[in-house]
This record gives sequence, structure tokens and C-alpha cells, in this order.
Amino acid sequence: MRADISRGTTVPEVFETVTELTVNGRPSVLSLDTRVTLLDALRDHLGLVGTKKGCDQGACGACTVHVNGKRVLSCLTLAAQCEGRAVTTIEGVARAGAPHPVQEAFVARDGFQCGFCTPGQIMSAIALIDEERAGTDDEIREFMSGNLCRCGAYPNMVAAIREVVSEGNGNAVI
Amino acid sequence: MSGTVVGAGINRVDGPRKVAGAAPYPSDFNVHHQVHAALVGSTVAAGRVVRIDTAAAEAAPGVIRVLTHLNMPRLERGPMTALGASPPPPMQDDLIRHYGQHLALVVAESPEQAAAAARLVAVEYERTEPLLDVLDPKAPQVIDPWGTDSDRGDTEAALASAEVKVTQTYTTPDNTNSPLGLFATLAIWDRDRLTVHDTTQWPSMVKETLAAVFEVPESSVRVLVPYVGGAFGAGLRAWQHVILTVAAARLIGRPVKLVLTRPQMFSCVGHRPDTVQQVSLAANRSGELTAIDHRTVSSLAMEDDDYEAVSAGSAFAYRCRNVVTRDVQARLNRPAPCSMRAPAEGQGNFALESAMDELAYALAMDPLQLRLRNDTDVDPRSGLPWSSKALRECYQVGAERFGWSSRDPEPGSMRDGDWLIGYGMAGCSYPWYSVPCSARATVSRDGSALVLSAVTDIGTGTYTVMTQVSAEHLGLPLGLVRFDLGDSDMPAAPQAGGSGLTGSLGNAVVDACGRLVRRFAELAAEDGESPLHGVPPEAVTAGGGRVHVKGESSRGESYIDILSRNGLPELSADGSSTPASPEDLGMAPSGAFGAKFVEVRVDRDLGLVRIARVVSAIDGGRILNEKTGRSQIIGATIGGIGQALFEDTVTDPGTGRIANGTFGDYLIPVNADIPDLDVVFVGEPDRFSPIGTKGIGEIGLVGIAAAVANAVRHATGRRVRSLPITIDDLL
Ligand code: FES
Ligand code: FES
Repeated sequence: MRADISRGTTVPEVFETVTELTVNGRPSVLSLDTRVTLLDALRDHLGLVGTKKGCDQGACGACTVHVNGKRVLSCLTLAAQCEGRAVTTIEGVARAGAPHPVQEAFVARDGFQCGFCTPGQIMSAIALIDEERAGTDDEIREFMSGNLCRCGAYPNMVAAIREVVSEGNGNAVI
Repeated sequence: MSGTVVGAGINRVDGPRKVAGAAPYPSDFNVHHQVHAALVGSTVAAGRVVRIDTAAAEAAPGVIRVLTHLNMPRLERGPMTALGASPPPPMQDDLIRHYGQHLALVVAESPEQAAAAARLVAVEYERTEPLLDVLDPKAPQVIDPWGTDSDRGDTEAALASAEVKVTQTYTTPDNTNSPLGLFATLAIWDRDRLTVHDTTQWPSMVKETLAAVFEVPESSVRVLVPYVGGAFGAGLRAWQHVILTVAAARLIGRPVKLVLTRPQMFSCVGHRPDTVQQVSLAANRSGELTAIDHRTVSSLAMEDDDYEAVSAGSAFAYRCRNVVTRDVQARLNRPAPCSMRAPAEGQGNFALESAMDELAYALAMDPLQLRLRNDTDVDPRSGLPWSSKALRECYQVGAERFGWSSRDPEPGSMRDGDWLIGYGMAGCSYPWYSVPCSARATVSRDGSALVLSAVTDIGTGTYTVMTQVSAEHLGLPLGLVRFDLGDSDMPAAPQAGGSGLTGSLGNAVVDACGRLVRRFAELAAEDGESPLHGVPPEAVTAGGGRVHVKGESSRGESYIDILSRNGLPELSADGSSTPASPEDLGMAPSGAFGAKFVEVRVDRDLGLVRIARVVSAIDGGRILNEKTGRSQIIGATIGGIGQALFEDTVTDPGTGRIANGTFGDYLIPVNADIPDLDVVFVGEPDRFSPIGTKGIGEIGLVGIAAAVANAVRHATGRRVRSLPITIDDLL
């Protein structure tokens, strides 16, 4: 039995576009292939590798960043779409050298193991508190469920977020 | 040595870097002049490549080279490892052995260009009928692959004359490791020197493999992996994509970076193989086991090995005179399986502990009592006493915390509105494993210490616990000690896997620190100006940044003083560990033991299963860090919940295609699936290993699937013998 599994045979044209991105308050101008996602622009073009790629398909949350203060999956967002918007990554949540309270609580509560999902979890957690969706443990669990953790640090993350909320300083620095 | 540093639940020393996004994983590394690779995988499971047309890909923008079996250099297979053979070398011929097999590697200036060009590679196949089913009689079988089959007593006779007997078949599906970190390799050749950033749990093995395959001295190869990004067993092999990337970098003369896609993580870096298991148990009316017969078939790749002795644990789980265990592997046209957290036990325990529950029903006996009645203080294989075993305490403490005594044995009798409540439990163990390891300890003139070993920290806390162990044995505060790892140039070390690393490495670190303290004591003893002049080194210990006479802490001097007076910038010592032989010590080396108690809630009408509570009582020997140890158990418990309720890598029966190879389709637990989980450690430091630990990386997973299935049986009256347990099993 023979089957010809033919893929495309034409050479695609490549378009470049100049994009002005403001990341963690710092503006930069990039000339990018139009296919470049915000995630790849951050990681490959701006050297901000703290944001992680776990699937590139919008299913794991590892690439979570904030765009204009809202959490966004940067793998599903084209870099060119972010022109004129404020992008915040894990590298931009500490202030004056002091970690964000959520970062501190994750360390104290051991809210991670391998740490790969952690930047995305923290970006989601900060937004969750901001969105006032961290009222109960069940609410935290529900609204953190877009971020997978294969190491299974979920209960410790819930404890960390609960601690930040109960101390009332989740919004202190962002 | 104060002894207060070890055991304390200190925060991870690498925590601040991880929460800042500043811990570099293999995919985070980039070097000047690097190019990017993308893989083309087979879309059929068996057959031959008749024609592979790379012209369009080669003409695509930015493309530098396209490698296929037609132009790939001929390579030797890597050497044997402690876990079996190396994967076969990639793209050496036109044969297709499984779906997703690498058929081409496209290298381009940018990742987007490489990915786009990979789609232009056209392949013409000649297909043959793939062997896909583990029970397919045409599949070549490997009988007793590791010599672990066991025979004790006369099992056949005991089963024939049994007062009470249970015989059932249990099945478990393929599960995929699915670490969050996509596996990445960045290969950099500098003439004949090779540096590789690679997602691996075992840098020393990758170094040896690459040196052999590419015919360069081992000293010319350096493998770096300061942070892994999870792996759960998938990082225990030098996979074909690693070989391809290194080969491409050598051919092209530029560094090549490859990051696997999530679908490729399902077909290129292993998975937990599916099993079909038949278990027969016999007992007398008082619940004493009289026979255990456990036979398994699990799947294996056409041309690769996997150490996975599924039934072996049943040979020592209980006191029983008549035991048979049999393992068979069936070679199939499916991607190669490999270890996945709690390999073998994860599947075998599900069958054994489900069958124990069925036996408890047949005997009308409490399942906990049945386990207690058959517990054994000696290893039934050798008759030697276990080096430590607190399983009885696990059962008792776990049952107490869980409130097992409030369980109404009648299935379906416990309810909360529409929810049927079920209590289930299981016993478990994970076998002892230990291999030689080495480490080096150095104290510098500023009084700080650096301890090194070529191990990895896959999230288990190795950085942290080894800092604690080093600090204790060098008598230094934690802040002055750094433990570093993840570099094959460091002293050779085994894999982070099989729950064996903490013991092997811990003993090597203790040895290195002990030798270093002794070197300081020797220097001081020979030195007329030292307060330790003439003191025999064995009378000296370390504490408070000093070496001093044992029991007389005022008589001694600091590391700094000894180094400066001798004009030395630093002093180092190498240490190692080699596991003792069980016969010499007259005991059976113990792995971890545990008891798992689970409450499920099943929606009466919808069949929806929720995990309400889990209590894990664990005998893990000495726990080096209460906090990271607990996290280990919690994380593995969640893996067990995934195995019980969600995880199922589906192979399309017609084509051999993995039908759900994405995180959207392959379900793993999310935060909302998991309640707070209770963990309690019981037991004593193990007598077999000087450091007293027993690995705890796997034990948290083992037993969860059976305890969930047993709880579902209790809630609903339905026995589900096939994982995962899904709504359709309960409607
Ligand atoms: S990488 Fe964006 S959701 Fe997974
Ligand atoms: S910490 Fe490893 S995936 Fe979450």
C-alpha cells in the first residue's frame, strides 16, 4: 500500500514588521517576522527568558504575562498586536529590588518544585488577586486552573496566595 | 555537628531564582551565531520511506540544511547505561518503526523559518500493518526481560485448594511524563570540543554517550543542565533528538538549538507503557494470604529497551509462602516507553492493591485489617530483616488521621446529598535502589564552602538538601555553603531517578565533607602553631566554621586561620559512596513504604468523581528537609490522581497515531482537581544507608490509583479494573 502524504510545496513569503514594544516599562523597537508571537519576541528577541514556553498552544499557562494589567497567554498573542500596550513579565514584578509578595509567598510555601511553570503561575496569581478572585480557596483553585503544574505544587500555591490575600498586600507593588 | 540543619524545613535555596524567572532551563540558553532546528516526524507507524523530497524545504528562506536518512552520517549506537541500552541512533535507514519517528531535521536561521520549512518536507511512504496492541499475538515478546520473575512455594496448588480466591485482569494505559519544560538541546562544537545544554536527569550519562557516538574523548564533552524543568523519568536517556542536534551542529559548523514541540513530547521522549495484568490471590478464611500470582504484559518499542518490572513488587509486598510473578514485554510499532515517576510499581501496585481490596470483600474483612494481617518484617524473598520498615505504623497513623474507623463497610451507604462517599486505601512500597556516586568539597580562604557533584535537581530539592547536609558535616552555617550541580565536568554522578539519588549522593557528600575536615585536622596536627598540634585527626570534628577537638569546642581553630597560616587559597577533598552488599550487612535494603487513604465523592447521577481528601503516611527513612519532602509526596500524589482519573495517551488503533498529544487533549490534574493533601512521615532513619534516607520521589504516587479505585468501589459498588476511571465507567 502506498500513500503520498504530501505537505505544502510552495515556499512561503516572509513579511517583516517593525513593532514598538513596551515591556516592564522599557520601550524597544523590534523588526520581526510577522509570525513571531509575543512569547518568542520576549524570549528570543528581548532576552527575557523568564517567561516560559510549555506548549505554544495556549493550553498550559507557562507563558502568562500581563498586557495592560490583564493576564494573557503570550504564546497565543502576536508580538505585533502588543504595539502601544504595556507588557509586564516576571522580570518586571519586583520593585526596587524587593520581590513581589506573591514571589515571597511562593518561596515560603514551597509553591513550586522544578520551577518551570512558576513564572506563569505567579503572573496569574498576581492578576487573580487584582481581579478579586481569590476570596476562597475554591475560588483560587478555580481561577488558577489555567496554569498547569506537572510537579503538583497546587496545594502549596493555594496556601501562598491565601497568605498574600489574608495579609492584604497582594496589590502593594504592582 | 549540631544536627539541626538537616531535617529542618528550610526554604529552597534556589527558590528566589525560580520565582524571579532567573533560573535558566535548557531552552533558555542562546549563543552567538546559533541556528535553529525543527523535526519532521513520521505520520505512519510502520513501513518504509519510499521517497523524501526536501527540495522545497531547502529552498525556503533561511534554511541551511535538511538532514534525512539519505545524508545523515552513519552513527554507532550509544553504550549501555545503568538503566539499559541507549536508544538506537536516529535516521540511519528507511524503516519506520513508530508514529512520530524522526525522518528529517531542518536547520534554519530562525525557529520560525525552521518550523515553516519542516512543513515543506514531503514524504512518500510504503505502509505495512503496524503492531499496536499489547496483546497482539504477532507482537514479538521478551520474556522475563530483567531476570526478576519469581517463584516461591507451590502457587498452583495453593490456588487450587484456596478457601477464598480472587482472579481478575487489570489494565493500565500509556501515560505520558509531560514535564512542563519542553525538552531542549543546544549543541556547540569548538573544533573537537563539544558543549551541550540538554534537558537531562543524568549529565554524566549524556556525556559518555555523546563521546562514544561522536568518537571524541569524554573529557572533550561537557553537558550542562543547572535547571531541568521537570522530566519524571523522560530525562533518563540520551534521546535521538539529542544525537541529531549534536550531529547537525558538527556538520554545519554552527551551534544548533532544538526545542521539542508539545506533540513531540508525546512521541520522542518516552512514556509509561500500558499493561495488562492478571492477578490471582488466595487466602484462608482468617485472611492470611496463601498465594499471590501476578502476570503482566507491557508494551515495548520495536528496537529499544525499557526497564519496567511491573509484577516484581508483588514478590515482597506481603508475607506469603506461594508466589509467582511474571513479566513479559511485547514489541510494538509505538514510540519507545521509558521510566515515568514510579515506573513499574505505578502499574503493578494498582493491580495488586485492587485485588487485595477485592479479596477483602470476598472475605468480608476490613481492607486495612487484611493488609495488617499479612504485613511482613522480613523480605520474603531472602528471609532477611528489612533495614527499616514502618509500614504498620503508616497504616495505623494514616488510618487515625483519616478517620478510617468511621467507614461504614457497606458500599453506597455513605452519602452527602447527591454525592456518594467512598473510602479506599492501599499499601505501597518502592524498592531500594542505589549506585555509586562522587562529590567534591572545598573550603576557601573566606571561610565559605563549595560542594559539587554532576547530579541534577529535577525539582526534588537536591540543591537545598545537599546544602543542608554539607553545612552540617562541615560545621558551617547554611549561608556559607553552596552546593552546585548540573555540569558533567563535576565529579561523576548517577541519574536523578529511581528514588536512588538522595542516598547515593548524600553518602558521597558526607564522605567528601568528612575527608575535607580530616585534611584540615591533619594540616593542623602537623603545625606547631595550631591549638590542634599533635591531636590525632580522628579526635577532631567540625562546628561553628572551625575544626576542634570532639567534645571540647574551645580547642580548635577556624578554616580561615588554617588556610591563611599555610598560605593556601583553599582545600578540597573528593568523596564517594558505594552501596554495601545486603548479604554482608545481613539485612534487606528497604525502599520507602506508605499507606494511602482516599475519600472520593461520586455524583450519583452524573458519575463525576472528585477527590475529597487524601492522607499519605510515608516511611521514607530520614527526611532531610520536611518542607521539600512533603512537596515531593504532594506532587507525586497529584501524579497518582492523574493516573487514577485522567491520564490516557490514546494510540489510534488503525494508524498508530497518538490521538491526544497536546495539553488540550491529554488531561492532567489542574489546581481545581486537587484538595488539600495530608502528608505524614513516620519511621526511623534507615540502617542500611549511612545517611539514613530512603528515596521518596516515587512513593507518593504508588498506591493512589488503587486507593481511588477502591474508594470508588466503596462509594458506588462498581469495581473499575481499567485506568483511568472515567464518567462512562460509572454511568
Ligand atoms: S506556552 Fe502558552 S499556554 Fe502553554
Ligand atoms: S513546578 Fe514544575 S511544573 Fe510546576
